[in-house]
Amino acid sequence: MTCNCSRREFLARGLYGVSLGAGLPVFLSRTTAALTAQALQGTSMEKHPERILVVLELSGGNDGLNTVVPHGDPAYYRARPRIGIPAKEVLKVTDTFGFHPSMVGFERLYKDGRMGVVHGCGYDHPSLSHFSSMSYWHTGVPNAGEPLGWLGRVADDHLDAKSRNLIVNIGTSQSLAVRSAKHSPLVFNDPATFRRDGTDDQKKVLAQFGADAGAPASNATLDFLTATAKNAADSSDFVRQAASSYRTPVDYGIGGAFGGGLQRVAALIAAGMKTRLYYVSYPGNAFDTHVQQGDVHSRLLMYTADAVRAFLDDVARLGRADDVAVMMFTEFGRRVEENGSLGTDHGTAGPMFLFGKHDRIKGGFYGRPPSLTDLDDGNLKMTTDFRSVYATAIKEWLGYEDAATILKGRFDTLNAFA
Amino acid sequence: MSRRLWFPVWVLAGAAVLAAPASSSWIDDLSPISNADWNVERAAHLLERGGFGGTPEDVARLAALTPQQAVDSLVEYARIDNSGAQPFEESGIWDPGMDPFPPSRADAVRQGRERGEALGVKALPEGSPRRLQPVVDKFFYGLRANSIETQRLGVWWANRMLTSKRPLEEKLTLFWHGHFATGDAKVRDYRMMLRQNAMLRQNAEGSLRALLVGILKDPAMLVYLDNGENVKAHPNENFGRELLELFTMGVGHYSEKDVREGARAFTGWTNDVLAFKFDQDQHDFGAKTFLDRTGPLDGTDIIDTILTQPATGEHVAAKLYRYFVRDDMSPAVKTELGRSFRASGYEVKPLLRRIFLSKDFYSQPSTATQIKSPVVLVISTYKKMGLRALPTIPDFGRLTGALGQTLFDPPNVAGWAGGRTWITPATLMQRGNLFRDVLFADAARFRAPDRLMPATYARVGDNLAKGMNITEATKEGTGDAESNAQVDRDEDYNTRYASYRGYLMAFERAKPIPRSAAELSLVAMASAAHAGTPEALVDYFARRFLSVPLPEKDRTAFVEFFRGKSVTSESALRELLYLVLSAPEYQLS
Repeated sequence: MTCNCSRREFLARGLYGVSLGAGLPVFLSRTTAALTAQALQGTSMEKHPERILVVLELSGGNDGLNTVVPHGDPAYYRARPRIGIPAKEVLKVTDTFGFHPSMVGFERLYKDGRMGVVHGCGYDHPSLSHFSSMSYWHTGVPNAGEPLGWLGRVADDHLDAKSRNLIVNIGTSQSLAVRSAKHSPLVFNDPATFRRDGTDDQKKVLAQFGADAGAPASNATLDFLTATAKNAADSSDFVRQAASSYRTPVDYGIGGAFGGGLQRVAALIAAGMKTRLYYVSYPGNAFDTHVQQGDVHSRLLMYTADAVRAFLDDVARLGRADDVAVMMFTEFGRRVEENGSLGTDHGTAGPMFLFGKHDRIKGGFYGRPPSLTDLDDGNLKMTTDFRSVYATAIKEWLGYEDAATILKGRFDTLNAFA
Repeated sequence: MSRRLWFPVWVLAGAAVLAAPASSSWIDDLSPISNADWNVERAAHLLERGGFGGTPEDVARLAALTPQQAVDSLVEYARIDNSGAQPFEESGIWDPGMDPFPPSRADAVRQGRERGEALGVKALPEGSPRRLQPVVDKFFYGLRANSIETQRLGVWWANRMLTSKRPLEEKLTLFWHGHFATGDAKVRDYRMMLRQNAMLRQNAEGSLRALLVGILKDPAMLVYLDNGENVKAHPNENFGRELLELFTMGVGHYSEKDVREGARAFTGWTNDVLAFKFDQDQHDFGAKTFLDRTGPLDGTDIIDTILTQPATGEHVAAKLYRYFVRDDMSPAVKTELGRSFRASGYEVKPLLRRIFLSKDFYSQPSTATQIKSPVVLVISTYKKMGLRALPTIPDFGRLTGALGQTLFDPPNVAGWAGGRTWITPATLMQRGNLFRDVLFADAARFRAPDRLMPATYARVGDNLAKGMNITEATKEGTGDAESNAQVDRDEDYNTRYASYRGYLMAFERAKPIPRSAAELSLVAMASAAHAGTPEALVDYFARRFLSVPLPEKDRTAFVEFFRGKSVTSESALRELLYLVLSAPEYQLS
């Protein structure tokens, strides 16, 4: 939403955005004033209260070298004689790098200046275990037992805990990345089943659970449950309605859950949800391409590029391009050398991606490409700590200066956002 | 159970929650409560936390004892005859030649090419079409059959939790399963999971040292944390790191060097399928410096060194405390419980006895403040319903899985995070919805997950039935044609067909989970309780199932909902109970 109004006016209007009054459930309209007051209070320190960060997870360990292909490096073709992407097929964007041929969507975004690619992202003492490595990316504190997610900590430090739905996680279970000490992220997968079952009579009774939320009892756990029940009762209708009524001419491709998840995010943005942090995962360890990876990886990348490109176009269509940035990661890259099964085994560093409007993000490549010959036991040596990219999102995009506190360490930002 | 007994309980419960002057001064007080302080409400709390709750009769039995006797009835479970507990009945899916199971289909194929056989089956003669098909079929059979067997194992354990005469034994085994988290999704061998489960149960209340030695030599754990790859030349730190970080000391009490040195000590600790194996060729016999000790340390030395550290006692005692008592723990209680745990030689039983007898355990912040894990939520509901066997319609694993907890498949090595992380707006709704499936089980529409073939493979069967050949039958869709063609291009085997065959073979060999709905009569329950009015019924259900009083507005709404309905209508009573079990208050233990 472009808004020349003051921040205060923006919040008052932007809380429910364009659709206020249009198809909004009655209970939300009724409580608009109260919620607006809350949001204003909670965001008094906000530099960019309108900005949204969407984080995308590719689970399973995406093969970065076949995603952002170093077509100018003979070492790549030596290491991957059978599964390397032939230079003539690569969607070249520089003399040395280009995208996998199925990623037409990314090529477009890159050429439009809406995309940044960060080379060689990883961390010291990398774990080659999906679980451990993913949990390190989720917490942003590798090799430690940090219980909260990095996005959860962002919310804890900056977003009003009394305000609901500031974090939305599309998925069947809550990601560790959004686990928060103060916020209860709105987690759902299929909006159609996000409802209480029962007869009409029963639903009437069930709908009033949590109606007295906010009246503090002596039991903090019960307060939390009541607040969540209210959150569920309020949000489920809103979410179901927003998702089911959302229509867009933009083609998200046939990527199923991932494209569908991004389309749900667009639907919530269109409906004026005040969510600041969205999290969507490409589920099921899909990118774990140990064997015969050619076609399956090609398909995954095509779905991914289609969905991300569509989402950015859709957000632009909604007039919110100024306010939305996307970050995409995976828990590790894969081994430089192909394995004996036309696939790749678990590795270390890989590229990360940032997306946004052309005059908000500075498109191009960031960081130093890792060497394909100076390896650590066959694996790339990371060149950018992934928390530099997190810090970039926190500081440059969301405008929070205390990235070092949130990330429990000081990391240089990339100067990627205008 | 007469109503007379329950009336004072209700008053006490209300008093304890709302006022309880004595109980608030009990916070962090580890001294034992007196006989005079013992009552039905506290007995119910003990049974909730030290077991899976129970019927009013179960609670009354505990309440009639002294606190010491009541705690002993849980803690001294080794004295309780449990010979009625049935062992897991294996289907016998593991054929000769399937060990060691190949890590991937590609590996099975490679073995088949090189040796002409793999997984105990021979490839077809050279020149035959799809000559490796039997090998790949067998590989998928192994995966599918094992997955079904693990589901059966989960149902077996859940039933044991429900029916065991030693509820604390099962509650503790569940604790250790989360502490030493190991998942079959990676292990892919239910036999290992079964053996680990037995080892954890065997040592559940014994010494931490026995558990540590047991788990570090446990094949499932060795596979789960890749210790087979922990060899002299390339020590794998996964195992040694989790030992320090998660299983014993917690972060902040050791260095990265300790992790590396510890990993060296565990080199060569591996497994020969179901047995621990010490591979001395891969073990690093050199000197290591770990914490304050130097020498040619091996894995057992590392464990013993860890056990000298105060951090170990505190970390594990604190985790037990959080599991059984509450999330917030004062530093003083942590220090004291850690100290006494270590001083006792890390014996779990005395630690638990002390906790369960302590005033702190019965203090206000410890009471009805825990969020039930999905497994505890479902099992304790069945307990409170008075069920004597686990309902299998709906499917237990699906119920708890939808809420984020599947037995034998924790999300990662850190186990289930628990507490508030169980609750999302969507899972909170699902936590109510699932009891609708229990109370209105629909056997006709139920589809057993252990006999469910995903649609893409079911289509292969349909296509074959129509007379298509394998190549035609395994073609998928139109948009995906090219990517799907990849699996058919290999002339040695057809992957989609193998996957389909794998399901069929698994369905033949793995025993089905017997299916039945809850055997429950709420009419009989209400009648025995003399609950003849809507008010009396709502109050009775609330007392029987909830740990805190119902908010007045919910009580009123429930009463109004039931008004005009009959107390002799089983379905009407079930509609009402569904409402009670959907209340946010029901998540509390």
